Amino acid sequence: MWELFQRIRSVVNKTQAFKSIFRHGFPNNDGNRALVMFSNIILHLHPVRVRRGALKIKFTWCLGGLTFFFFILLAITGVFLMFYYVPDTNRAYGNIKDLGTVIFFGDLFRSLHRWSAHSMVLFVWLHMTRVFFTGSYKPPREFNWVVGVILLSTTLVLSWTGYLLPWDQLALWAVTVGSKMAEASPLIGKAGPFGAELGMNANNDITFALLGGTVVGQSALLRFYVLHCLALPLVTALFIAIHFWRIRKDGFSGPL
Amino acid sequence: MAGAEQKGESPEDVSRRRFFTLMSLGVGWGGVVATLGGIGAGAARYMFPSVLYEPPTVFKIGLPSGYGMGVDTKLKKERQVWVVRNERGIYVLVAICRHLGCTPNWFSDQKLFRCPCHGSIYDPHGNVVGGPAPRTLWRSAISLDPVDGQIVVDFNLRQDPDPVGTPEGLMVEEASREVEPYFLKV
Amino acid sequence: MPQKSVNPGSMEIKIDKKSDDLLARIKKTALKKIGPEDTVLVWPNLVYLELIAMMFALAILLFLCLYSPAPLEELASADTTPNPTKAPWYFLGLQELLVFFDPWLAGVVLPSLIMVGLILIPYIDPNPKGKGYYTFSERKFSVIGFSFGLALWYILIVVGVWFRGLDWSWYWPWDDPHMHQPAGAVKLVDLQVILQSTLGLSETPVATLGRYVVSMANLITWGIFVGYYAIGFAIPFLIFRNFYNKLGFVRYNLTMFFFLSMLGVPMKIFLRLLADIKYVLVTPWFNI
Repeated sequence: MWELFQRIRSVVNKTQAFKSIFRHGFPNNDGNRALVMFSNIILHLHPVRVRRGALKIKFTWCLGGLTFFFFILLAITGVFLMFYYVPDTNRAYGNIKDLGTVIFFGDLFRSLHRWSAHSMVLFVWLHMTRVFFTGSYKPPREFNWVVGVILLSTTLVLSWTGYLLPWDQLALWAVTVGSKMAEASPLIGKAGPFGAELGMNANNDITFALLGGTVVGQSALLRFYVLHCLALPLVTALFIAIHFWRIRKDGFSGPL
Repeated sequence: MAGAEQKGESPEDVSRRRFFTLMSLGVGWGGVVATLGGIGAGAARYMFPSVLYEPPTVFKIGLPSGYGMGVDTKLKKERQVWVVRNERGIYVLVAICRHLGCTPNWFSDQKLFRCPCHGSIYDPHGNVVGGPAPRTLWRSAISLDPVDGQIVVDFNLRQDPDPVGTPEGLMVEEASREVEPYFLKV
Repeated sequence: MPQKSVNPGSMEIKIDKKSDDLLARIKKTALKKIGPEDTVLVWPNLVYLELIAMMFALAILLFLCLYSPAPLEELASADTTPNPTKAPWYFLGLQELLVFFDPWLAGVVLPSLIMVGLILIPYIDPNPKGKGYYTFSERKFSVIGFSFGLALWYILIVVGVWFRGLDWSWYWPWDDPHMHQPAGAVKLVDLQVILQSTLGLSETPVATLGRYVVSMANLITWGIFVGYYAIGFAIPFLIFRNFYNKLGFVRYNLTMFFFLSMLGVPMKIFLRLLADIKYVLVTPWFNI
């Protein structure tokens, strides 16, 4: 059996199609193992060799990598959820209900999306805590810490915007409270310090731009949908790319 | 040849050329910055909608005789207001917590409004007697329709006086609140 | 070329100051140079490790999905607020802060300060030690400061998740979660009201700035508020001069501002809980 498998593989490895996709043989010797890291776009996030310290679980706890894994899971399950979701105040709640009751695997994808989101927030925090305690933000890695803080905030805003989409009581009131906070922003909110003095009212302050109106209604749902499914994931993906790029350029801070 | 031309240049030629270079640079880059800035400002303005599709904010709530003494909660679900009658007349409280906009609940046994979100407590006048609310409850502008005599509520025109911190809580003198158009002597 | 004079007897090499530094640097980097025996191939060592971690995480997530599927409450309706209304757990620290501070502070300014403070950490921590390994003894202040903020955040979340119930009142785990707690008999009072009555100050305004009527008690609360920061900035400067010298003027002031603001949050919470003080500082535009 193993013989047969080996023979098929050696034949397949020599075909033009295989060679056009993979520029190296099967990674069962050191040369090919180096080449696979070098020539695969996803694996190229890693260097070819790392110091032994980078493998120590008790140093990294895999926190950053798992955060990225949750982001990927969220993107995949999110795309699946979008097939059955209409951002309309009359239909959204019913769509989510359908996902939970009649659509095959709908409940699983929605639950997976939710648990991945919770996990991602938790792991971003834990990852930040780990990076602080190992002093990995110190020069020359200061800017990557800044990128990390930006990613922390986009993660939180992503979670918050996603919260409105089921259009249930939890959604409405979490966002109502959040929008009232925005309303209380100093200078740019109508209820904040010096907001009224600067001429802020219900029709021109920051909350109006956030909700696309004066109440949490249809336009707010649409805005949050666009932010949650398109704008913020793009921004997050961009900063994740910068984050990884800087790790590769600045090197790994851990022990030898 | 460039060398030959440079030889024949006077200091005025050099300074003139420098002036035109700087000016064209200024005009060019200024144009780029102005264009991008204009697009940015326009994009920011774009996020503020010019047309709204929202429920009406001026509505009728029936005849004054339909409201007895004390706090009436029957319009809370539909219109987000409480109608309160005291010895002198009627006022309409907006059922929006001044802390973060949740809808407080009326407890007739305690004679208090209590907010479920962060525990703000109001008395029937709208004064804050507990919790984090920074201001007193709004009162909506009300008037009587001259044709059918119903109370007309203007939900967006609201009374919002500066409260005074006292040992009892954040208070506003009741007499100063019972004025037109926020109070009906009926 | 630096002047070298080799003494054949002792083999001592005389070199000038500049190249001495260079030599030390080369020696240091040479020591740190990574030989092939210290590194391993990423495939399979790290890649498989990551695959195992991901599969393990996915298994746990799938288990959680079966154990607790995503909830869906009633259809949204603007007229009824669920009681209690809780934000997702990661925002409950913020929601708990909203009990003690006005929305502009708890909802906007404090979160912004947290984010800016986090961003500034690498720039206000000049300590070169503790890079790439866990240590407490080599960077006590920064570890304590960060842990304090972290602990504060998590305590507020725990309180929000497990100790708040109907009407956002305090519920012990053994209290009946379906019974309303009696409305607090204690009234919250502003610090200036307390000062006015206990010190017997007159209510006549000292000055009037538009809407702002400044009383004597109000001036004292300003003194307390500004004094908190002034004393906080001064004490380390006067007593731990070494700390100031290490940081320098700009870093010191940034560090102290964020550190004192962070300390101020639990202080205000304790003032509220122990002395029933609503606001420390009152103005017509904002209250703290």
